[in-house]
Amino acid sequence: MNPYGFYSFILGSPLMLVLVSIFLGRYPISIAEILTLFASPFTGQDINATHFGIIFYVRVPRVLLGALVGGSLAVSGAAFQGLFRNPLVSSGMLGVSSGAGFGAALALILCNDFFYVYPFSFGFGLVAVFLCFFIGRVTGSTQAITLVLGGVIVGSIFSALISFLKYVADPYDELPAIVFWLMGSLSRAEYTQILMAGIPMALGSAGLMMIRWRLNVLAMGDKEAHALGINVNRNRAFIIVCATLATAGAVCVSGVIGWVGLVVPHMGRMIIGNNNKDLIPVTFSIGATFLVLVDDISRLITTSEMPLGILTSLIGGPFFIYLLKQTKGREW
Amino acid sequence: MALLRVESGTFSFGDAVIFNGVDLTVSKGETLCLLGPNGCGKTTLIDCILGFYKLDQGRIMIDDKPVNTLSPKQIAQMIAYVPQKHGRHFSFSVLDVLLMGRAPYTTFYGSPDASDIRRAENILDSLGLSHLKHRDYTRLSGGETQLVMIMRALIQETQVIVMDEPTAHLDFKHELIVLETIVRLIKERGLTLVMATHFPNHAFYFENQGIPVQVAFMNQQRVNSAGPPSRALTEKNLESFYHVKTCVINHPVPGKGTIKHIIPIQTNSNHEKIKQGQ
Repeated sequence: MNPYGFYSFILGSPLMLVLVSIFLGRYPISIAEILTLFASPFTGQDINATHFGIIFYVRVPRVLLGALVGGSLAVSGAAFQGLFRNPLVSSGMLGVSSGAGFGAALALILCNDFFYVYPFSFGFGLVAVFLCFFIGRVTGSTQAITLVLGGVIVGSIFSALISFLKYVADPYDELPAIVFWLMGSLSRAEYTQILMAGIPMALGSAGLMMIRWRLNVLAMGDKEAHALGINVNRNRAFIIVCATLATAGAVCVSGVIGWVGLVVPHMGRMIIGNNNKDLIPVTFSIGATFLVLVDDISRLITTSEMPLGILTSLIGGPFFIYLLKQTKGREW
Repeated sequence: MALLRVESGTFSFGDAVIFNGVDLTVSKGETLCLLGPNGCGKTTLIDCILGFYKLDQGRIMIDDKPVNTLSPKQIAQMIAYVPQKHGRHFSFSVLDVLLMGRAPYTTFYGSPDASDIRRAENILDSLGLSHLKHRDYTRLSGGETQLVMIMRALIQETQVIVMDEPTAHLDFKHELIVLETIVRLIKERGLTLVMATHFPNHAFYFENQGIPVQVAFMNQQRVNSAGPPSRALTEKNLESFYHVKTCVINHPVPGKGTIKHIIPIQTNSNHEKIKQGQ
């Protein structure tokens, strides 16, 4: 594929889907009505206030948030896979997701207000990663393997804490809220959240985009990367900070959406190969497209929305197998 | 002129002393063959030269600058590294791998540009390996992988290349291909080479090809510089160092002059056992 076509494809596919998704939803608004709505500033036509609200305060923020969350989770996963030289690693591997889940559950029980969920889950997501670093420090090294081990330990500690909170939660009110939050959803998307959570997501993703070529060199192993002139510890810390910001930002607004941070990078690897210079942008694009698509389906198939965490796996799984068959695992 | 100097270098992992009071000097355009048994600390010494580990005592000077004051980037512009065993995790193309050799010259957020790609293509071309350019490097043979690692070191455009047993795990032919390539590069580019190896014959091979070679023996935390192979690799020295009885032969080969080669006869311990058996 020539570079021009390549970049228009990776930019174009999520943009296209974002546009199409604005026209989709349970509330019946015809395409003509939506087009009139968009044209109203120029034509001066009267607009239907309900339609305006649904399009600009429900669908547009939701679709934008979906694209941002999907892209952020996917690039973080791709970056961690390269950094830890392990294709089975996902964006939540340093405990971000479990930490954020615990924070959200704690906020739901203590404050009983969704407003506090975002800062709590974001904060505890960061705390989890700091703990991983601390565990790595105990052994006197920041080697990849001690960080991975730290991630497993921190993740299981926070999972246990989440179970404890579920156990003590009020079973009629708080428990369902916690369970549904953990399954992931974009249904509470508003502009304020896009702004608040969007900043860490955009910063993290942009940082990973910037350093993406160096991920190739880091994938050669610590010693070779050092001999190739890379300050391994400094670069690793930068990548972890970026991926953590992006993931924590995504999880705190959308809950725990599995699969995207693990398998979407592999879809990218199958399509474009392992060179992170191309893989990172492609992965962001696929992640954004994929999550918006899954969210569209979640909005359309039932009146009560299906949690995203369920659908990402149910839709992603068969698609992944299809892709595997098409590419025969080439370049992967 | 000494390009690389190790001055009374001492290094230990915790309580385990790996080497102690090591002095080494490598002049510009010279090849140093570092010989020693498995586990004698050759790889650790190389890691220290690369600045990956810091010496406990002593210092390492590269081009009269102490290595521990240089950043990884500055070191990588002066010393390139060819690993013994390369762990392959992701299938990059050979071109992608070669371009990593340009990392010391790229900025934090940058990536190799068209001129770097041309450099990589030139090197592939000069070694007659252009057909590998788009191949998946995880599916190359051991010998081809090693040649890719050597090319990646070349594209770093350093004065010194450090190789850690570059012919380990290679078959008969590929071992020679790698050695021939190294010799050619030394002759064409005037490289300074530090090469750890298990095979003393490699030192003779370089000497037979007319390259200035020094031999250093590393064992029991010490390194002894022993001079050029003809002086260092005598039957007596080999027996005291390796405990192997050998025969060093001079053999005239038409068109190549006289070549020297070590033929191992038997290990001392076996020798004694056989004696006892009698």
